[in-house]
Amino acid sequence: MRRRALIYGSAVALLMIGAFPLFWMVSTSLKPSGEIFATPPRMIPARPTLENFERLFADTRFLTYFRNSATVSLTTVALTLAVSSLGAYGLTRFSFPGRDTIAALILTTYMFAPVMIIIPFYILVKQLGLVNTHLALVLSYTTFCLPFSLWLLRAFFRSIPLDLEEAALVDGAGRGRAVWYVVLPLALPGLIATAIFTFILAYNDFLFALVLISSEELKTLPVGVNDLFNATIVDWGMIMAAGVMITAPAVVFFAAVQRYLVQGWGAGGVKG
Amino acid sequence: MRKNALAGWLLLAPSLALLGGLVLFPVLYNAWLSLFDKHAFLPVQAFVGLKHYVYFAHDEEFWNSFEHGVVYAGATLVLQLAVGIPAALLLNEGFRGRNLLRGVVLFPYVIPTIVAVILWKWLLNDSYGLVNHWLMASHLAALPVAWLGKDHIMTSLVVTSVWQFFPFVVVTYLARLQTIPPELYEAATVDGAGAWSRFRHVTLPQTASVLFVIVLLRSIWMFTKFDTVWLMAGDGGVSRYIRTLPVYAYARSFTYLQAGMGAALAVIMFVLLLAATAAYFRLFQREEALS
Repeated sequence: MRRRALIYGSAVALLMIGAFPLFWMVSTSLKPSGEIFATPPRMIPARPTLENFERLFADTRFLTYFRNSATVSLTTVALTLAVSSLGAYGLTRFSFPGRDTIAALILTTYMFAPVMIIIPFYILVKQLGLVNTHLALVLSYTTFCLPFSLWLLRAFFRSIPLDLEEAALVDGAGRGRAVWYVVLPLALPGLIATAIFTFILAYNDFLFALVLISSEELKTLPVGVNDLFNATIVDWGMIMAAGVMITAPAVVFFAAVQRYLVQGWGAGGVKG
Repeated sequence: MRKNALAGWLLLAPSLALLGGLVLFPVLYNAWLSLFDKHAFLPVQAFVGLKHYVYFAHDEEFWNSFEHGVVYAGATLVLQLAVGIPAALLLNEGFRGRNLLRGVVLFPYVIPTIVAVILWKWLLNDSYGLVNHWLMASHLAALPVAWLGKDHIMTSLVVTSVWQFFPFVVVTYLARLQTIPPELYEAATVDGAGAWSRFRHVTLPQTASVLFVIVLLRSIWMFTKFDTVWLMAGDGGVSRYIRTLPVYAYARSFTYLQAGMGAALAVIMFVLLLAATAAYFRLFQREEALS
């Protein structure tokens, strides 16, 4: 009995730690301004309202930031999947001298935190004429996701028997069709795990976006919302509404594919 | 497996071009740049050799940032383990709602850093924050605590970071817990081992190697953390009470526009991490090999 009580007590405590701050964010975002500063604070809004969200959309560039974040993150996911699938296929289906050395080298690039190369990175991007473009963000996120995605997909591709692919080839399918219809569907959990990690990294990034983007119309959510926060006296209701809006896609995306994530976690972990 | 080197290389070419051009080249360029006085935006540069490194050896701001980094990484690491490991042990037990809780626990790790920071700034707000309200309602504090003022900003940063990153410890540790054969626990129970003894003699040895990796990764990631620290206080006001090396390197490069000095700081960080990692492997490898 004591054991059960301990377990359920701890479970409630953990639930509070994980979820209460988020509950409080949602609750604040739905309160009219009078209630936000009320003492004692109300857990559930007495008169829930969407006015904070309306202000956020009408008075700020939030929707622009949102669109920019969506474009950059989804493009990064697509590019990372394409580049790392090709690379992982090359690493598992062809043998050539130096292959394993290359794979090991790729993993060591994982050691460099973005902040350690941001200065030369900025100078390089500037020389390429890509400063203040979304392309610069997409390329930097893709690059930083690559070591992890290549290793994850390499593990998945390696577990797919070569016979299946060869059977398709014998049946008259071309190499491209064999990969598309046989290999990729079997590697789907790996592709999904890669997509989630990539999306989260790109959607969350603050450093590259801060350094590489200067014009308002191109800013992504983290930098844009931080500007909003620093601009004037903080409008807490509106800022919490922004928090809810930013969190929603990340949580939905994540919840939809969570079961694939644990496999990816085992295969390589996530950076952050 | 076909022996076709050309096709293999061609398929790898896009990956290698990106990693070579956007990671390896900048790393080397960074080391080179650290030997110059260079303006961050203008094409002005002059070779100065090791001048920046000598400068930082006597730079109070550098040592301050180093100390903050050690305190920040150390405190957040210990607390992440202190919250994460018990949480993982709990989520390895069978109870109703376990799967839901496993998902909920990941939330803080999945939400963007900007959200975690503004959320905690609201909870810790001195006038209207929930934390001060609860502290005063329960008579733990007579007056509101200035959580984001200079005396407590480091504590607030640590709390925010632990909340944001402990789920990594939970998931990684839990993944390993699930692979421990139940027979080991059954045998220990038959031998009369209590809960603590089972943890000490079965769980801990079985999970030693994953703990080794968790401690390594989390220390490195906390020591090089930029966004949470920066977002907590920006570059002015109380920021100097939590400024860590990544933030200092950023400030040197993009606030003072001294790209050469910023590059030197990046090299120093890299060398420090390499040395710490080597020492860590030397100290703990034996135990790791045993498990």
